[in-house]
Amino acid sequence: MDCLVCHDTTGTYKKAPPKAGWPDKKVNLKYVAENVGHTSRRSCGSCHFNGGGGNAIKHADMGRNLLQPDPDCDIHMGNLDFSCAECHTTRQHRIAGRSSSVAAVEGVVQCADCHSNTPHFGNKLLDHHLNKHCASIDCNTCHSPVYAKCVPTKLWWDWSQAGDKTRQPVMQYFGNSKKGYPDYHVKKGAFRWGRAVKPNYAWFNGDMQRMVLGDAANLNAAAIELTRPVGSILDPKSRITPFKLMKGVQAFDVKYRTLLVPHLFPRGKDDTTAYWKVFDWDKAFADGMRSANLPYSGQFIWKETWMYWRVEHEVMPAKMALTCVNCHQSFRQEKTCDRCHRDNRQVDFKKLAQHVADLTSLQGKIPGIEALQQQSDYIDFKALGYRGDPVIYGGRTTTLPLGRSDTAPTDK
Amino acid sequence: MRQIHLQILMLMVLTCTYTTWVYAATTGEQWVAPAQEKALRRAQAVVPMVKEVKQEGAIRRSQRLHALGVSVRDVKDSYFVLNSPFIKAVEDHYGAVRFNHGQHAAESGDCTICHHLRAKTATPAKNGDKPLETQRCSACHQQAFNPDYPERLGLKAAFHQRCIPCHEQRHKGPQTCRGCHLNNVPDHKKLVKLPDNADALQVTAECLRCHETAANDLQHSAHWLWRGPSTHTQDHENSVRHGKGTTALNNY
Repeated sequence: MDCLVCHDTTGTYKKAPPKAGWPDKKVNLKYVAENVGHTSRRSCGSCHFNGGGGNAIKHADMGRNLLQPDPDCDIHMGNLDFSCAECHTTRQHRIAGRSSSVAAVEGVVQCADCHSNTPHFGNKLLDHHLNKHCASIDCNTCHSPVYAKCVPTKLWWDWSQAGDKTRQPVMQYFGNSKKGYPDYHVKKGAFRWGRAVKPNYAWFNGDMQRMVLGDAANLNAAAIELTRPVGSILDPKSRITPFKLMKGVQAFDVKYRTLLVPHLFPRGKDDTTAYWKVFDWDKAFADGMRSANLPYSGQFIWKETWMYWRVEHEVMPAKMALTCVNCHQSFRQEKTCDRCHRDNRQVDFKKLAQHVADLTSLQGKIPGIEALQQQSDYIDFKALGYRGDPVIYGGRTTTLPLGRSDTAPTDK
Repeated sequence: MRQIHLQILMLMVLTCTYTTWVYAATTGEQWVAPAQEKALRRAQAVVPMVKEVKQEGAIRRSQRLHALGVSVRDVKDSYFVLNSPFIKAVEDHYGAVRFNHGQHAAESGDCTICHHLRAKTATPAKNGDKPLETQRCSACHQQAFNPDYPERLGLKAAFHQRCIPCHEQRHKGPQTCRGCHLNNVPDHKKLVKLPDNADALQVTAECLRCHETAANDLQHSAHWLWRGPSTHTQDHENSVRHGKGTTALNNY
């Protein structure tokens, strides 16, 4: 058991790569042990910021930038110095929090735990409407309108391309940064990276549907969804939630229709099956599936796989949230709040409805972010099951009054 | 199964090493979280004590403030930390407590729930100044058991008697000690007894000398077992066998 990896406060503790979990010989263990303390962004991040084999590759909203975060990237950590465990509360070493990619759950963390179900306050005209939105819209839909804000993340990972020793990686660049991100690695295949990416939006009630090891997939599908959010426009508990959709290409067994697990890391000098040594997928799958106690027919097929990863962290400052007009296209027209409310000389409805997010402090930091201000129908109402802008056609629970739709939305 | 486990472990180990290296290379100037820094500084300030309060019943005061139009809109600072030197001077067991002032004002809808009395005269007294309707808790509640003000609660008691019943009655916000307070970790330099060249197993044994329960807890957790209850996975709600070390699939 390694207490220090989580409870180190000195930043000097590290593990030794060839020793599978043992600490590096150079670490002064006595010094680290004498300075133990609570977990921190650094200790949690030493594993979780590196999911997928590097910084923010897997979790678009968790990267090493959160060690010393910019408040514009993450308001909780950057402005208020939150540690992970302040939200992911822990009891008897069981750490609360659901993961999109992994099934194990030891408690649920929600924004509402601190912010309540009526988080918009100030008695301002908008707050009533914003709070009503909370029943149907996840906080981060508005409060984190793009993911991978501060560091790029991987969006596409094609394993079938791996093994071409002659292929040279082409670098992908973002904004003014000189740091390039390679589109190829001989051991891992082809990649595509993204920065400040618009999420995919889906109805989500907190549960995931997921393929687990040994599950048979539908090989005729255009893409096989390894995880998918559970939810529906008709389910009152579902809310429109932002996801990073990670796409890739992976191998499936033709006969058993299972996702194949390759043996990648060589076990030693005389390993003859590891893909990262001999670059033979057939041998790697045969060995990997044997280790997983699952059958392998010897025939495999490359298929596109999708995974939904919820965008939960890196909440932006409130002034940068999506505004009414970003989603409600109808507010760009002549009538705004006065569709329902009597005109009021003391309130400029148009100004209120057409207000845009203040992104000035992000200019230069996040390439292309200014375009957000001009967006309309940002979350794509029709794709979510609405007939169109709910201001015109009615929401999922409102039907007849005030000249709204007489047709209930349908589940897509 | 062991195979997958090992691969993940290797990947983690590789990346962990890299993290440490990058972190050391990038830490130059002191990083601060602006709002937290401001709140911590503010919490250190000691304001002059309000000596006399205006005698006013709770309902009358609430009505008067509503009539004056005092509301959540008048909240100037929506975030504080509670970390007063008055409490620290007596005991120092916990870190600063985060307090979302704006949220509390909005949820309660009545400033007088916490700001239950006001100073009789402006404090500090200046000619012509009107007394403020609301002041920070520590303007009235300072040291406990002050013989000059036997009716006044000390600051710690004032916090606890205001916060706890309200959280409990409304079933809102933290309702346990740890919900608000993060304990200070005792200085382990005095506690840890290790030789200079201690190895990993000696360190773990030394931790377990006191923290055996914690070690036992950890061994039942998902971070140790790499599996756990899949309560939020459809069709696997009642299982405890799923997790990264057992059945998880991914595409990276």
